[in-house]
Amino acid sequence: MDFEEFEEKDGVRFSWNCIPSTRIEASRTVVPISALYTPLKEKPNLPVLQYEPIACRPPCRAVLNSFCQVDLRARAWVCPFCLSRNQLPPQYRDITPENLPHELRPECTTVEYVLSRPAPNPIFLFVVDTCLDAENLTALKDHLVATLSLIPENALVGLITFGAMAQVHEIGYRECGKSFVFRGNRDYTAKQVQEQLGLNQPIGHRVPQQGGHPQAQGAAARFLLPLQNAEFALTNVLEGLQKDPWPVAADRRPIRCTGVALGIALGLLETSFPNCGARVMLFAGGAPTEGPGMIVGPELKEPIRSHHEIEKDTAKHSKAATKFYEGLAKRATTHGQAVDIFAGCYDQIGMHEMRSLPNSTGGALVLCDAFSTSIFKSSLTKMFARDANNFLQMGFNATFDVVPSKELKVSGLIGHAVSMNKKNPSVADTEIGIGQTSSWKMCSITPAHTYATFFEVAQQQGTPAGQIPPGYVQFLTHYHHSSTQQRLRVTTVAKALVPGGDPHIASSFDQEAAAVLMTRIAIFKSETEDGNDIMRWTDKMLIRLCQKFADYRKDDASSFRLAHNFSLYPQFMFHLRRSQFLQVFNNSPDETAFYRHCLNRENLNNSLIMIQPTLLSYSLEQEQPVPVLLDSVSIKPDHILLLDTFFHILIFHGETIANWRNQGYQEKEEYANFAELLQAPRMEVQDLLVDRFPLPRFIDTDAGGSQARFLLSKLNPSNTHQSDSGYGTPGSAVVLTDDVSLQTFMSHLQKLSVAASS
Amino acid sequence: GYQGLTNQMGNLNIGGGGAYQGGAPPGAAGGAHMAAPTQLNQIYNTDLLQNFPPPISDLTLPPPPVILPPGSSVTGNPDPNADSEFMRCTLNTVPTSSSLLKKSKLPFALVIRPYTALRDADENVPTVADTTIARCRRCRSYINPYVVFLEGGARWRCNMCNLTNDVPSGFDYDAVANKPRDRWSRAELNHSVVEFVAPAEYMVRPPQPLVYVFVLDVSVHSVKNGLLATAARTIKESLSRIPNVDNRTRVGFLAVDSSLHYFAIPRKEDVAEGEGEEGEENEWPEPRMMVVSDIDDPFLPMPTDLLVNLSQCKGGIEKLLDSLQSMFAHTVNPASALGSAVVAAHKLIANIGGKIVCLTSTLPNVGQGKLEVRDDKKALGTSREGQMLQTASTFYKSFAVECSKTQVTVDMFLFSSHYQDVASLSNLPRFSAGQTYFYPGWIASNPEDANKFALEFSEYLSQELATEAVLRVRSCDGIRMSAFYGNFFSRSSDLCSFSTFPRDQSYVIEVNIEETIVKPWVTFQAAILHSTASGERRIRVITRAFPTSALLQDIYASADQIAITTYLANKAVEKALQKGPQDARDLLMNRLNEMFTCYKKDLMTTNVGASAPLQFCTNLRMLPLLVNALIKHIGFRKTSQIPSDLRSAALCLLSTLPDKYLIQYIYPNFYNLIFMPDEAGLPDAETGQIVMPPCTNLSGEHLISHGLFLIDDGQVMFLWVGRDAQPALLQDVFGVSSITEVPTGKTELPVLDNQFNERIRNIISKAREKTDAITYQHLYVVREDGEPALRLWATTHLVEDRVEQSGVTYHQFLTSIREKLNS
Ligand SMILES: [Zn+2]
Ligand SMILES: [Zn+2]
Repeated sequence: MDFEEFEEKDGVRFSWNCIPSTRIEASRTVVPISALYTPLKEKPNLPVLQYEPIACRPPCRAVLNSFCQVDLRARAWVCPFCLSRNQLPPQYRDITPENLPHELRPECTTVEYVLSRPAPNPIFLFVVDTCLDAENLTALKDHLVATLSLIPENALVGLITFGAMAQVHEIGYRECGKSFVFRGNRDYTAKQVQEQLGLNQPIGHRVPQQGGHPQAQGAAARFLLPLQNAEFALTNVLEGLQKDPWPVAADRRPIRCTGVALGIALGLLETSFPNCGARVMLFAGGAPTEGPGMIVGPELKEPIRSHHEIEKDTAKHSKAATKFYEGLAKRATTHGQAVDIFAGCYDQIGMHEMRSLPNSTGGALVLCDAFSTSIFKSSLTKMFARDANNFLQMGFNATFDVVPSKELKVSGLIGHAVSMNKKNPSVADTEIGIGQTSSWKMCSITPAHTYATFFEVAQQQGTPAGQIPPGYVQFLTHYHHSSTQQRLRVTTVAKALVPGGDPHIASSFDQEAAAVLMTRIAIFKSETEDGNDIMRWTDKMLIRLCQKFADYRKDDASSFRLAHNFSLYPQFMFHLRRSQFLQVFNNSPDETAFYRHCLNRENLNNSLIMIQPTLLSYSLEQEQPVPVLLDSVSIKPDHILLLDTFFHILIFHGETIANWRNQGYQEKEEYANFAELLQAPRMEVQDLLVDRFPLPRFIDTDAGGSQARFLLSKLNPSNTHQSDSGYGTPGSAVVLTDDVSLQTFMSHLQKLSVAASS
Repeated sequence: GYQGLTNQMGNLNIGGGGAYQGGAPPGAAGGAHMAAPTQLNQIYNTDLLQNFPPPISDLTLPPPPVILPPGSSVTGNPDPNADSEFMRCTLNTVPTSSSLLKKSKLPFALVIRPYTALRDADENVPTVADTTIARCRRCRSYINPYVVFLEGGARWRCNMCNLTNDVPSGFDYDAVANKPRDRWSRAELNHSVVEFVAPAEYMVRPPQPLVYVFVLDVSVHSVKNGLLATAARTIKESLSRIPNVDNRTRVGFLAVDSSLHYFAIPRKEDVAEGEGEEGEENEWPEPRMMVVSDIDDPFLPMPTDLLVNLSQCKGGIEKLLDSLQSMFAHTVNPASALGSAVVAAHKLIANIGGKIVCLTSTLPNVGQGKLEVRDDKKALGTSREGQMLQTASTFYKSFAVECSKTQVTVDMFLFSSHYQDVASLSNLPRFSAGQTYFYPGWIASNPEDANKFALEFSEYLSQELATEAVLRVRSCDGIRMSAFYGNFFSRSSDLCSFSTFPRDQSYVIEVNIEETIVKPWVTFQAAILHSTASGERRIRVITRAFPTSALLQDIYASADQIAITTYLANKAVEKALQKGPQDARDLLMNRLNEMFTCYKKDLMTTNVGASAPLQFCTNLRMLPLLVNALIKHIGFRKTSQIPSDLRSAALCLLSTLPDKYLIQYIYPNFYNLIFMPDEAGLPDAETGQIVMPPCTNLSGEHLISHGLFLIDDGQVMFLWVGRDAQPALLQDVFGVSSITEVPTGKTELPVLDNQFNERIRNIISKAREKTDAITYQHLYVVREDGEPALRLWATTHLVEDRVEQSGVTYHQFLTSIREKLNS
């Protein structure tokens, strides 16, 4: 069974592709029965069906699919989930085995329905920090104006700016620039926002030419207008934006009421456009220093909180701010609004405290040093990328239902979603991630968004072998397509259930999926648990997995062998332990929030790169780049290395290469091959960047260069200054680290796994 | 006889003025030592009922002469005491003891009018520019014409407290011309009104720029009635009239409905810098509107650009004013958070001070100081009416305290066609040295309304305001200022503070005698420390001296009926605001009766018995008429026909109008236009001024049925057309042939090519012409056979007749006083 083919077809990767048939057996697999699913995975040949789906009778509601038994004569079908028999509707009376509707064709396990109800136009509400220096503000303004050309004409757009106060711009007002100003230190309720904007009373403004939101005509005519009507006005306002006018003393930070501005944005949307599919796009150039959601006081002598302070619970504002943003996140998800955060400064902007906003709404998080960077510009541009039909690659206001057959129960989900609190018999008692529900909500969803779903085997007792039917799982994703259609993506998968101990179980292990799924669990735990506990948990799970599935003689470490499909798993875990996901102290809390956010969003491949970066080596001897070990031995003077950590892409020129380049050999005709060598990794980088969001930071460095530490920190320290062997590969770099090397790690793992008891 | 004597001495002085030689001033040399007994004013009786109707030309007479002993002024100059316009006293002879004052039943008060014109150019007050200001060390009085120089001129004795002070160095030196100067030419020794240019120690901070924040009502009422458009246009047209000699004046705009709308007016260079292009055709950047709906706790949306320099941002200001109307043209918002807007405007200017100019047609019904409709037609004319004249919200009084602390004045321009609670709103101006201007039922589509407001508002904007002013009045030992009346904030028991000083109001200060006065004459000195519109710190000092006497007849013989009426009007307003109109009427009646009783008992001992005539001293013979007119005035009249807003607005005027307008407001000018002298209505051959016809007594008996009359109370004018007016007259005046074609109501006379039409128009124009008030009277044409309500309104001004429920004629009024006295 080819996992990747499976992923290509349905966007699903299971940790185990054969499932032990009893709960007790299943629990012994250590890695839970779980799947990574990318609902909106782009598929060129995806059947898009222009009719309503046929659903099983309530309460099942599973959608007719290719695993259903269809009795063509009786015009009936049997639902594999609840085993009910349903009549086919009249329009299906002409189907024959040769003329099956798409959803019944075996190859169409994933289909998408276009539902008859229309979806509202998408809404984009910019929330723009104006406490920026001139250069940063100009860059931001310019790029926001440029971005308008990427937004569909029918999308509604609006603008809130903030500094010491927050301003809602009435772009529908024609007489002059007009904004409503809110205090920066007050927590406004949605009702107060509505009242203060005059949306609860007739104001006598012109009724908008096109409605669509009868309950919100005031706001639709004044604050959030179709781009085609508002582009001129909005461009004017954006271009005219000035630095926040309130004076800032030399020993103080600017007063910045980010929290209030976000609250007002959500208030405006939730009263006027509930569940309409909206993005609140925050562009922040510094830390909130005022009002609810402030993370640091305005005095510069008060430093911004660190991981240590957060851990020791001495960060003055962090807890209250986190709670405040969680409250906002709850409101946002209740009303279907996504929140994106773009940070454009060297300092922190409070992503740590705000993380629940993008994390629970499916919004994006982009971290860069300034709005003038290409990271910011191309990431923002990429957000508005179009698909082949010229529609935005983003869906809104999605609900995600997991329907298992009765052999399985749903334990939870880890990803950018919130619970819809839908309890039914298919919901497991044990909880992994966001559990106690079989339905989740994603305010925003893109082709990149990937969710980990966890299952439990329902059966307490084993049934005789040979009689076990497969287990089925149906993923139902309802969402607002940006074409203003309501759509439903249905993916149905079947997995064999086998008795415990069946060798198919071990051979069905997808170590890549498992590594990513376990990483998601570890990160989820880190929200509530201490870092050391998580590290211990990771180790324990790895050891238990090895104990169960490795081949060894008791107490004989040298006999330890892992099957091919397990062999990389310990390495993944080794790198996970060293990664920024679990080793947080080298990063700021904002960076940690950013890294974890990305891991919880991306698909398997990207997640793996994040856990274990890829390293390619280029040299004159090789025609093609070769993947090399993420190890210090891979550093060679006459090689160029290309490191991809997902967040960083680094080209590292070995000493000799750098010398040649500095002497300008690449300019000389006779050394064209050297010029090509220098170019080759750059070409590769271009390829890598095509799909990457956010744009990674690009580093171009040489051996001995100060930026080289980015590479060294990722390499397995096989030659550390502590290794006592003393004979490292000549020319390879010594990595200065106290970390254990992969070799040490593996030998510990082997020792512990073969030990009599754990 | 005395007048002649002083004139002679004056002439001597003028001739004798020369360089100071170190001795006594020439000409006054003898005077200082003479102290000869002086003949004060004599008492003359008038039988009021015999001398009926009252001779109303008395109303324009100067006050009884102030007769000082010769030599009481240091230069002997007769001028120093002349200016009764700036300060007059109810008693031009001051009683020497408190018991005598009490016995007289006459009020003892000063009426002070620090400014006599809206603009400096129309005033002629000498300035002392060398910042050498001699003041008494003990009582802080300013050196004045009544001091005495001692020790060869090296020292001077204070005429208030008798302390001997050194003459400051530089007093006899002209620092500007850099040469010695003649001490006797110093203005402060020659004039009763002078203005000192003050040095730095008179400033808490440098003189601040003039600041105006316009609070514009943009609720549906003010948009529909055209106030917003008219106000914006008038402000725009008056921008160049706003005092701004040194280009420091700043303005700001705040629009209010249920929210506050701030306007950021960018400076031109802000944009020019960004665009880089030079010579862009005078295109001012657009103003930006910022709305704050947090009306319970208003705040400023930005720290800059809301209050802008008038000169630097004129184009932007004009652009804003041009577009205000269209900005709010579509509103249906009926709410007004005026109180919050005032708080917001205050925040905008609190660090500088200045004027908050409110223009509104709406009852403030939301936000701070929100009010409710509380006028109850059934309560009018009853004891419950008093409450409606009091403030319904403490905000309007308490916020005035904030304003005063920060040198901010609030003026109210009120335009509602419905109840607007003038009683409450007028408190802010009252306690912040502002004024309430009331335009009931104003609507811009009526050209007379639009014109009146535009003219008045433009005049208002042009007046040269003083800022950061305090008024203190000093007098001799034993005399104390005990109560102050007018629009200002009482900072302490003897100090009135004026955030800005309007130039069209006057103030009444009640005086107590605490110790027996032994001096033959006493001095009062009012000092107004202020900053001028042009950024100078100055002190306007008004000094007047009055003789003293221990004799009751001297006191009565020099009592000033105009000043007394001004005082009584203020007392009655105070009473009306505290208790209601009935108490105010009672107060007026009682005070008058007490005077009559005193006069009869102590000065008319020969007249006893039931048939004794009603006698009063001649210099007070108009007082009963004025008191009777006050009782019938719209401010106090017993009636159920006057809405409380009108009543409140009248009380505002009664307590602030300078006496010449006050008397006219109480006892209007009444002109018979068909029997007038030939020169009336035409320019005087010498002065070029239009000659006004003589006034007639305000009695309906003069309203002959074929006549044409003008009634002018200074606020409104009525042109009365008798029912039998001749077609020729109608043709001349109105250009119509029959009386039914005469347009009635608020209107203007047509300009017709005949002399009579021109004369009438001249008279009306002349009545409206003034340099010391902004008021431009509406003209109502009233037909005797026309609309009864209009006719009734006009006739309520005929105060010698019965007026509504104050149902006695003046004759009956006098008769009943006589009966009461004789019973
Ligand atoms: Zn079913
Ligand atoms: Zn003194």
